[in-house]
Amino acid sequence: MRRFFASFLLSLLSFLCFSPYAAIANASSAADSISTSISDSRSDYHEQLILRPLPLSALLASFNFRSNTSLSAFEAHNFRFFPRSLGQILQHAGTRELHLRFSLGRWDAESWGARPWNGAREGGTGVEMWAWLEAETDEEADHKWLTLTNALSGLFCASLNFIDSTRTTRPVMSFQPEGNHIDANAANTHLLYGVLPHEVVCTENLTPFLKLLPCKGKAGIASLLDGHKLFDSSWQTMAIDIRPVCPEDGECVLQIEQSIDMVLDIDRSKRPRDNPIPRPPPAHDMKCNTSKPYHAHDTCFPTDSAANQDWSLSQIFGRPIKGTCPLTDPTVSPVCIQVPDSRIVFASEGAIEKKNPDQTSRCFDFPAENDFEVFLPAPETQDGSVVVDQHLVKPETPLLYAERSFTGHGQERGGVQTILRNPSPDQEVEFIYMESLPWFMRIYLHTISARVDGQPGKADSLIQEVYYRPAVDRARGTQLEVRMTVPPASTVFLTYDFEKSILRYTEYPPDANRGFDVAAAVITILNRDKSVGNSRFAAYNLRTTTLLCNLPTPDFSMPYNVIIFTSTAIALAFGGMFNILVRRFVAANEGPENGLKKGVNRLKAKLAAMFKKRGSTPAVMLDGEKKME
Amino acid sequence: MNGGKATLGRTAGLYAGAAVLRLALFTLFPRLPDLLTGRVEISTPVTSFKRLQEGLFLYNHNVSPYDGGVYHQAPLLLPIFNLLPSFATFPIFTYLLYIAIDILSADALLRIAESGEAGSSARFTSPRRDKRWSGAVIAALFLFNPFTIATCIGRSTTVFTTCAILHAIANAISGRHFHAMVALSFASYLSMYPLLLLPPLVLLCYDRQKQPATGAPNAWIKFAATMVMDVVGALAVLFQMSFCLTGSWEFLSSTYGVQLTLSDLAPNIGLWWYFFVEMFDSFRSFFLAVFWLHLSSYVGGLSVRLRQQPLVVITLLLGIFSIFKPYPSIADASLFLGMVPLYRHVFPLLRYSFVIAAIIIYATFLAPAFYHLWIYAGSGNANFFYAITLVWGLGLSLLVCDLAFAVLRDEWEVERPEMVGKEIRQI
Repeated sequence: MRRFFASFLLSLLSFLCFSPYAAIANASSAADSISTSISDSRSDYHEQLILRPLPLSALLASFNFRSNTSLSAFEAHNFRFFPRSLGQILQHAGTRELHLRFSLGRWDAESWGARPWNGAREGGTGVEMWAWLEAETDEEADHKWLTLTNALSGLFCASLNFIDSTRTTRPVMSFQPEGNHIDANAANTHLLYGVLPHEVVCTENLTPFLKLLPCKGKAGIASLLDGHKLFDSSWQTMAIDIRPVCPEDGECVLQIEQSIDMVLDIDRSKRPRDNPIPRPPPAHDMKCNTSKPYHAHDTCFPTDSAANQDWSLSQIFGRPIKGTCPLTDPTVSPVCIQVPDSRIVFASEGAIEKKNPDQTSRCFDFPAENDFEVFLPAPETQDGSVVVDQHLVKPETPLLYAERSFTGHGQERGGVQTILRNPSPDQEVEFIYMESLPWFMRIYLHTISARVDGQPGKADSLIQEVYYRPAVDRARGTQLEVRMTVPPASTVFLTYDFEKSILRYTEYPPDANRGFDVAAAVITILNRDKSVGNSRFAAYNLRTTTLLCNLPTPDFSMPYNVIIFTSTAIALAFGGMFNILVRRFVAANEGPENGLKKGVNRLKAKLAAMFKKRGSTPAVMLDGEKKME
Repeated sequence: MNGGKATLGRTAGLYAGAAVLRLALFTLFPRLPDLLTGRVEISTPVTSFKRLQEGLFLYNHNVSPYDGGVYHQAPLLLPIFNLLPSFATFPIFTYLLYIAIDILSADALLRIAESGEAGSSARFTSPRRDKRWSGAVIAALFLFNPFTIATCIGRSTTVFTTCAILHAIANAISGRHFHAMVALSFASYLSMYPLLLLPPLVLLCYDRQKQPATGAPNAWIKFAATMVMDVVGALAVLFQMSFCLTGSWEFLSSTYGVQLTLSDLAPNIGLWWYFFVEMFDSFRSFFLAVFWLHLSSYVGGLSVRLRQQPLVVITLLLGIFSIFKPYPSIADASLFLGMVPLYRHVFPLLRYSFVIAAIIIYATFLAPAFYHLWIYAGSGNANFFYAITLVWGLGLSLLVCDLAFAVLRDEWEVERPEMVGKEIRQI
């Protein structure tokens, strides 16, 4: 289905591209771009890869690609770095700002700390998108949203076309435009948000993502991106953000920022491709934690954090970087590594290492035509045990930890519990908690309550504002936005009840007993500084994991049986009543004979008649026979 | 009938006993009300107390309760419960309201029983009419029926409908037509299906007029038209009030539309939900129409055939509704089972009383067990609960048919007094 749609859309796009008008635009844009590229090509495109080793032998790799196009060029259909395929869709759907996320896995905040980009480039598991559309009415906005999701569905080979009205909400508090809009809150700008938690992100989504890049993944840092490694990571998120940016001293530009953040397990990535099955190392190679009381010659508790801190790019990505993208801004170093300056990093020949003044990161410049390779040797140790702090940049503590889970059991009803922990010892944290739930989870808002861990009773005063739009069966999902605070150094439980509804049997997916995915809750932490007008918004974003909701299921194999059984029960009741009302009472021995007796009598009469007929000629014989008897 | 004062004392004691029992269940087992509210046998999407609370919460926070898929109950329930002190802090007031409604229903039932309408109506007097239970016994059978008690503790809003229906009947018998029609309008406003009781109720009113009908040939048409106009007027007033309260007409589709289209397929003891879960999409509307047609088809037939005893028609219809309405619960069965003892005089003519009792008890105990197996234990599937709803429906329909048979035989034996106790058959 989605393949079909993609091909349909591609044909549509090709039609657009080859229309005579577009051809003229292409010609003129080529001329334009030659003339303009000399003047402002420096800021048009840049890419950067930031590598950060994390505790527990994990490695965070953040790829960031950014290109700009001036709004006037965009409106004149002149595309240079901005991908034409995407640009035309945006123009067609009247999109002012677009954010698209493809994510997998879970960010382990307890060990890895704060999220990259403060969570701004992150999405919940599955596919998530939100956009500001230009439309006069809500209906028009819905229509444009439908156009946009269907077009992007074809472009990214994702089932975005399944973002229908039940999966679309219009957030009120949670999202703010990132770009500079002239009138972001004007009545003709509509924010729509859609999420597909069930969507499995895979290689088919990476390929179109790379095709949007000017170097198409053939050169530069994008040459590291390979589906086998990217989707094998513990956590990854691909993001596309398109927003208009108006610098104070210049022309407004439309900016597209593509980023991929992934957390690789170094052990797992270093496994050779021809021998991918993990096997325990031989006993003499194991590094044991000698501080354990049970440590002996035959027992070993492996030290995990010190192990495998040595890696190279080609070990974990399977290949080195194939030079730099020639279009990229040469002033931005393509690769940076965030390790303390005390650690030794080897780079391939010709690369220039630049240590940053913060003493925790260094960047590398390298010639465009050479392959680039980085090797991080294991930190040197005297006694075999390593202190993590010395060779890793200490992860930053996030502003808030959040965990969400279901409570209760059975397929009839349940509850949702979100545990929100504020690690700060003295600052309270204020945030907006947003859920967009499927309609078949009927939530009871009157049961929503907050409770501080360790304190008896409810603490509903922590909930400051609630925006709630209830679900309508088969037409609209639930939208719940809660503005609340968590006091310093405390844990708050936010809970509410819901009821699971049973669906029509055609509404269940083929794997009905797997359950239904419930989208991640989006938590937007507000700036503490209330004086700064708009920038109060979104100091940090995080998302909980998705949930799997088990609905009661009917027996899928027997629609005919149910129809027959129920109809029989109704027929029995109706027939019994009808008989009693319509038929007359008589005594048992009165009236005409009933069916069976009548039949028997008729049969007797027939037999008698038959015998008579046969007996008409040999009457004497019959008489004789009778006499004989 | 025997000594007004003694009866008064007895009924007062009865009501007090019923109230104390309910109050004790509410207060001694504080988790029981919520447990029963969550049972599918008691709470349906259109009567659940938890959904009422949600509607009330949304109403109090200026969100339209009808702009959502949870609240499907009549708008006027909202201000009624809003007037009560908050349920979260003073649940006792809600409990008292439910207890009072139950006792009001029992009182109406007592008045119906005391009138003797069941045994001797205006056009027919049963030869067996002397063999009957007093009003107090019938009220007690209703009040102490476990189904009624469970409904009351589960705080299903069906009790309001039950009360309105019983008062409509009681008023019709005592000749207060207008009151009867207003009560019926209330019942219809709350749960729609009681509107189908209008024809037999008009017949009952007509038979029990204070001044017997004049000889004018079309007097009954005029009478029926007045009754219908009363109902239409009362419903118009109720709808107008609801409109003023909610500010839009969207409550119509959310309360009555849900019953007509069965968009919420929550399991219950009726036959509709599983049928429409499994129904093919293209036939859904057709079968919805067929089911509603089936439900309303009984009204005409019963009213014509049992013209002499309109109260019997109402009783049988209540039984049929408790089986075949879209969202039935044991509250509907308890209303029907509360009316059945009025026909004590025809009990000897019932043919399957043991089978019926066995089936009802069997279904009562197995339904929660099978539901548990399906939803919680996971060791059974939906067919388990579906099968038990079929058994329950068959048991109740057997009772309805048997009661109809007994009443008709009782009528027939007036013509053929010599046939009492003899074997008969139907042709």
